Amino acid sequence: MDKINKIILNCENISKQFGFFFALNKISFTVNESTILGIVGANGAGKTTLINILSGLSAPTTGKILIKGMNYKVNERNIKRFIGTITSKSFLYEELSIYENLKFFSKLYAIYDKVETSKTIEQAAANFNLSDWLYEPVSYLSTGMKQKVEIMRVLIHDPSILFLDEPFSGLDFNTINMLITMLINLKEKKNLTLVFTSHNIELIRRISDAILILKRGKISKIVPKDEIDEIKIESYY
Amino acid sequence: MNEKKDSKNSNLKLFYTVLQKDVKSEIKQISDIFAIILFGIISVFIFSSAYNTINLGTAMPTSIFVTQIWLIIFFTLIFIMIKLFVQEKEKGTLDGLKASPVSKIILLTSKIVFCFILLSFIELILLIFSFFISIPSVNASNLIEFVNYIIFGIIIPTLDLSVCGTLVSALSMYAKNKSFVLPLLLFPIILPITSPIIALNIKLLEGEILSTVLLELLFVVAHTVLMFSILMLVSEELLSE
Repeated sequence: MDKINKIILNCENISKQFGFFFALNKISFTVNESTILGIVGANGAGKTTLINILSGLSAPTTGKILIKGMNYKVNERNIKRFIGTITSKSFLYEELSIYENLKFFSKLYAIYDKVETSKTIEQAAANFNLSDWLYEPVSYLSTGMKQKVEIMRVLIHDPSILFLDEPFSGLDFNTINMLITMLINLKEKKNLTLVFTSHNIELIRRISDAILILKRGKISKIVPKDEIDEIKIESYY
Repeated sequence: MNEKKDSKNSNLKLFYTVLQKDVKSEIKQISDIFAIILFGIISVFIFSSAYNTINLGTAMPTSIFVTQIWLIIFFTLIFIMIKLFVQEKEKGTLDGLKASPVSKIILLTSKIVFCFILLSFIELILLIFSFFISIPSVNASNLIEFVNYIIFGIIIPTLDLSVCGTLVSALSMYAKNKSFVLPLLLFPIILPITSPIIALNIKLLEGEILSTVLLELLFVVAHTVLMFSILMLVSEELLSE
């Protein structure tokens, strides 16, 4: 089967209303498996609301979301098994160590093999240069280090699709490059699909297979891969 | 059949995982618990001192002792409630649980058990201290009466308070002024059981047999079941924004 044409995420007429205000207004788009969709837009365009809805943190007011062909409303728990989420708020428990946090999150995804989990965590910590901090409380870490742990957390259960809200904020240039290489590798080798938001247009251009531009809760434009380098994204804000 | 059993096992494991994380987190922030215990002990001390100033040398009547203890426990519950959902919501860690494949019912039940463990631990210390500081006149002298008091006078009411505390904590976590909303919501929910719990404790400490406290006991159990049912029925709405 041609994996490029296999739709993994299908959003149909997604709206989110807060009182009289529409944070999202009838958004429809699809994402193919093993692709990277970058979401951009000015502040208040609805990027975070969209990521929150896709990751199951908030329910849409109207509309339907299908992930791997399954309806979110009916198969929420099943869908959550193969998605990973990073939002602007940290999911990590500050008083617990990196190791305890990652062990806890792996157990939430039904990974109970202690030896295998320990190996995976130690390997991830080594990849992110955090081996020396593995048994220290998360509260001791800098913002950038915490963000690295967030990325380790989101990959711990080997998800098929990632929803990341500003995943590279607070990270230095080298770490961003390392992460991008790693995510692209995961995309190539494990068919990982990535949906992420960022204000860094250059970065979005560099790694995305398509760009979704949001403007006041509506889709302003969906830019396919072959147009990414030609189009002036900011003009659609 | 096997699938059902597997799902039950996996739910139990998830329940235990969330509970274990809460207990571990609490142990790492043990000073919070010490602060709550200190509040309890100081309250007992002030109460007993005030009583002894007026009634020199006389043992504290059971009714006053029980009222004093449960009044302190009700206030202690407010501190614990903040730890259940309010703190997790403020820190953002609740979203981590919501984004994971853990059912809302598992989350809520694990919080009830966590609240029960925490409240029981604090009650145990408070009871030991208050027995020494207040020196109440207790008629329950044999082991069976003591066990009855622990099970029906302490454990069941504590379970009821844990269910009420979890419900109120989940209800108030989205409120802007949580410190105001928490006691305001808790008060009407625990008001109906305050008198039965105190009456139950007084009678059991005075050595009365179980059949004489059946009405109060039934009321507390019915209240627990009712609150638990409400919590389960609204679980989806409680944990959705």
